[in-house]
Amino acid sequence: MYKMNTWVPPRQAVKVIILCVTLVVALAGFAAADGKAPVSLTNYSSQTRNILKRATGSRFENTNVILVSLQCLRPDHMGIGGYKRDTTPNMDRMSKSAVLFENSIAQTNLTPVAMMAALTGQYPRVNGMIAFDVTKDSVAARTMPEILKYYGYKTAAVLSSPEFFMRFDGETGKTINLRDVFSRSYDDYIWPRRHVGASMRVEPTESLDWLDKNKSKKFFLWIGSGSIHPPYAATVPPPYKTMYDPPGYTPFWQKFFPVSGNEGGPDDPTIDILLRIWDGDYYQGFKPVHHLTKDDAAYIISRYDAGVHYTDMFIGQLLKKLKDTGLDKNTIVIFYSIHGKMLGERGTFINYDLYEPVLKNSLIVRFPDGKYAGRRIPDQVQGIDILPTLLDYLNIPIAADLEGVDLMPLIRGEKGAKGSEYAFIDRMPWWEHWMSRFFLEFKFQDPLKANHPPSEDKAIIEYGNMLRKAFPPDSYPPGDIAIRTNQWKLILRKNPKLLDKVSWPKFITGKPRPIANVELYDLVADPLETRNVVAEYPKVAADLKARLMAWDAGIEKKKAPYRRTGEKRYLIPYP
Amino acid sequence: MSQHESQNTPDVTLINRREFIKKTAVGAGVVAATMAMPGFMMGNAEAVDLANLPMKYKDYNVVFVSFDALQAAHVGVLGNPRNVTPTIDAMAKGGFNFTNAISVASWTVPASMTWFTGVYPSEHRLTNKFSVFNPPDHNVLSNLKKLSPELVTLAEVLKQNGYATGGFTGNAGVNGIFGYSQGFDEYFFEPGKFGSMSVSIPKGLEWLHKNKDKKFFMFLHGYDMHGQHVPEEGYDYRFVDKGYDKRYTGSAKEQEALREEGLAKGTVAVRNEDVQFWRAIYDEKIQRTDARFKKFLDEYQRMGLMDKTIFVLTSDHGTELFEHNRIDHGFSLYNELIHVPLIIKLPGQKAGKVIRDQVSSIDVMPTILDLVDAQVPDKVKKQMRGATLVTALKGKPVDKDVFFETDYRLYTYKRGLLTKDGWKMVYTLENKNRELYNLKTDPHETKNLVDQEPRRAYEMEQRVFAFFKSIGHDLMAKQWIPGMNPVYDSQAKQVFKQT
Repeated sequence: MYKMNTWVPPRQAVKVIILCVTLVVALAGFAAADGKAPVSLTNYSSQTRNILKRATGSRFENTNVILVSLQCLRPDHMGIGGYKRDTTPNMDRMSKSAVLFENSIAQTNLTPVAMMAALTGQYPRVNGMIAFDVTKDSVAARTMPEILKYYGYKTAAVLSSPEFFMRFDGETGKTINLRDVFSRSYDDYIWPRRHVGASMRVEPTESLDWLDKNKSKKFFLWIGSGSIHPPYAATVPPPYKTMYDPPGYTPFWQKFFPVSGNEGGPDDPTIDILLRIWDGDYYQGFKPVHHLTKDDAAYIISRYDAGVHYTDMFIGQLLKKLKDTGLDKNTIVIFYSIHGKMLGERGTFINYDLYEPVLKNSLIVRFPDGKYAGRRIPDQVQGIDILPTLLDYLNIPIAADLEGVDLMPLIRGEKGAKGSEYAFIDRMPWWEHWMSRFFLEFKFQDPLKANHPPSEDKAIIEYGNMLRKAFPPDSYPPGDIAIRTNQWKLILRKNPKLLDKVSWPKFITGKPRPIANVELYDLVADPLETRNVVAEYPKVAADLKARLMAWDAGIEKKKAPYRRTGEKRYLIPYP
Repeated sequence: MSQHESQNTPDVTLINRREFIKKTAVGAGVVAATMAMPGFMMGNAEAVDLANLPMKYKDYNVVFVSFDALQAAHVGVLGNPRNVTPTIDAMAKGGFNFTNAISVASWTVPASMTWFTGVYPSEHRLTNKFSVFNPPDHNVLSNLKKLSPELVTLAEVLKQNGYATGGFTGNAGVNGIFGYSQGFDEYFFEPGKFGSMSVSIPKGLEWLHKNKDKKFFMFLHGYDMHGQHVPEEGYDYRFVDKGYDKRYTGSAKEQEALREEGLAKGTVAVRNEDVQFWRAIYDEKIQRTDARFKKFLDEYQRMGLMDKTIFVLTSDHGTELFEHNRIDHGFSLYNELIHVPLIIKLPGQKAGKVIRDQVSSIDVMPTILDLVDAQVPDKVKKQMRGATLVTALKGKPVDKDVFFETDYRLYTYKRGLLTKDGWKMVYTLENKNRELYNLKTDPHETKNLVDQEPRRAYEMEQRVFAFFKSIGHDLMAKQWIPGMNPVYDSQAKQVFKQT
């Protein structure tokens, strides 16, 4: 049903990578081994030289920046990614005048956490965005708009992802439009909600008006489309909504207790439905009540694709606007999909864990006037690389506390330039952690919503109580970690006992689901990650584990506190 | 003299370094200035004198003097309205007076070792009293040979060049056990003391009498104006307001208590008259020191060595006297701590010259080696981070941005940058706090401009990080957790008691 679009490194690339190590060390500006290199300009890294020179006539003086986040867009469901459907004609065309990263890896599996890593250029535990119950100062790290503001940018965001706006009050269950943790350093912060219901996402077309009004200013605009996110295609109008539906299909969940509450219409695939699908079965009352057929899966995917297509239509409008206003000549546009989704792989349909369909995201950078047009970059890159790359392009000094790689040398095609041979991923928070903070209380214990079968009542309440006990209010959320190369992925469960105890899949399926402490996948031989080969490749596993642990120890040393003030925590509603 | 409206407002009569420098810069031809600062004015004869100085003094003697904890603004030629430094002023007026010399650190242990190694404190690693502090049984005193065995000292190079080398000090931060004695034939320090020049000068003169026919390098140091030293003969309170109610007497214990209160609370509540009192007795100490130093010079003159000797007078750091609501030093990097006097008087030099270019104490070692035309091993040339100031003595510009740091007692970790155009960034590593000051408009560092000048703050912060990384110290690579690393015995005893 699904084929991974995995890039296999050509043999000669390995050599290049080894050659590059020296250069990268030099670029990183580490002093020579004796630590006594004389201080002269030639001894500084190029980055430092930039700082010392204090650039004149720098790009930040006249280059606009647009960051387009397309939450949940899988690169392999785009035309440019080789997809069978013509889902993304506008982005495909745009990418011909842009730089396409073919191997972009999310920092984690959940939207607010992965996005904040991109906006701060820091791993989640370092920037502090590690849970869904946040206070406005949960993240103290500098963000992209903050730095750009230093350089005279007008900053704005038009976002249709409720994750970046909406909070729930854990005591009253009320929705609050807090504009807290993400909204720092913006002159305008706009939520195009249009009264379509809390979780309903629309295309952020207000961004086009904003561009008209502000095109003469030097600006940074973050346009966030949340409309690929479940409930899939819920706000997509006909005929687009149903354009890929299997003919004559009726959603299987309509035969069972309706669990979606007010999250979408009866034919919309909602999170509530999707997170009851495990191993290809749909669960209610802790029993498999339906085995998904080919059509069932195809229907969910069709609706996902419809959302992608409709979003692409908006991108078409945006690209037209940039061309009509001439902004395409002096604006760098970064398209970033934050993370992907499971669409049936391993029998699941959510971004619960760290498998390839979730981690592989889309990153396309269109430089002003189509510079570097058509470049395809096979190197593995990460979300945290975006900020240093942008700063370098704009001739702004790269902050010392950024943890990503400056990708400009790679983009310029410099000899020896490379991405990240190793990508590091924090699975944080666990789904069960955000469920403990919000989901169960207001979806399962509110009798008005009644979006679980009555037979689950008692068990749900007990599960919720257990979760809250497992994750005390101010204790640092547990997490898992992973390391990825072009061939391998190793996932390490930092607290497997607790994970097993709180496991949502175990709870909802009513079946034990043993979790391996260490998972190793050969992404080349087994792109669907069906076989844990940790026992077969002990050396590979040991090497990756050692690197992962070393990275983890470094992160632990600089991790931000979970709680910064005594301020009340409000909850981000969606993963 | 009434100096203070309140301890919170900067003292208007205190020298504003940059204003002062501007005034003196009006320079040539202004009669009033000539009268006020005769040394600054250059007639033709004096210009000829300077131009004729050879700037190479092979085999001449070097006397290097550290007046420990002497705040630049309390020196007469740097703006103290009280006449407390006539001897130092005379040296400055007849020599090269660097009015913008910045120390690499704000307390004795790290700052002084930079003169002798030519590298930053982060590099020589003598940044605290103990390199390991694990009481009660596992404390290791810092020692240069152990911490940085590869470093060669100024005294070692001069010794290799045939110099007799003698150091005469007040112990404490520059005691021989830390490795300050490295390269000295004789190095005097009296354990357990914050000794003054009343002890180190006689010891030094004794040595001089024995070595005066050789070429020699002498390091002379005393804690005369340090908070932990009270004049042996007691205070006569010559500058204290007659009506002062004597809440304080100027004892070492009082200053220690005020220092510790400031560290604990971030600020000390003292009255305006107390601030005036502490500044008055500081000036008294300076005046007494200057008089001692005059006696040394008189004896030196009698030995007939004056014209065979290069004098370098400076201080390792200044002293906070409630400019920022605290007293003592080490825990911050304000200019009252890092701005130090630096005077170079060459043999036979008649005319003086003021050099306003900003320089660093990192430049002292290369300057001395350059002046005596020493054979410097390549290893040492590579080691030294600074640049010779002989360029400046020859009239060429040496103005530069300077970096400084302190890890005082592990109470705080600060790194800073002062640009030659007067912008100053101090970054506190343990809490990521940033301070940005424009010394041109705010010489007393009272207005943190981080929010008003975000771009400048960002770029200067990046420069601080890039600079330390370039000298092998990636400030991002470790965690900066405040701890305890005592400097004074009283603190050590407290810690021992607790454990």
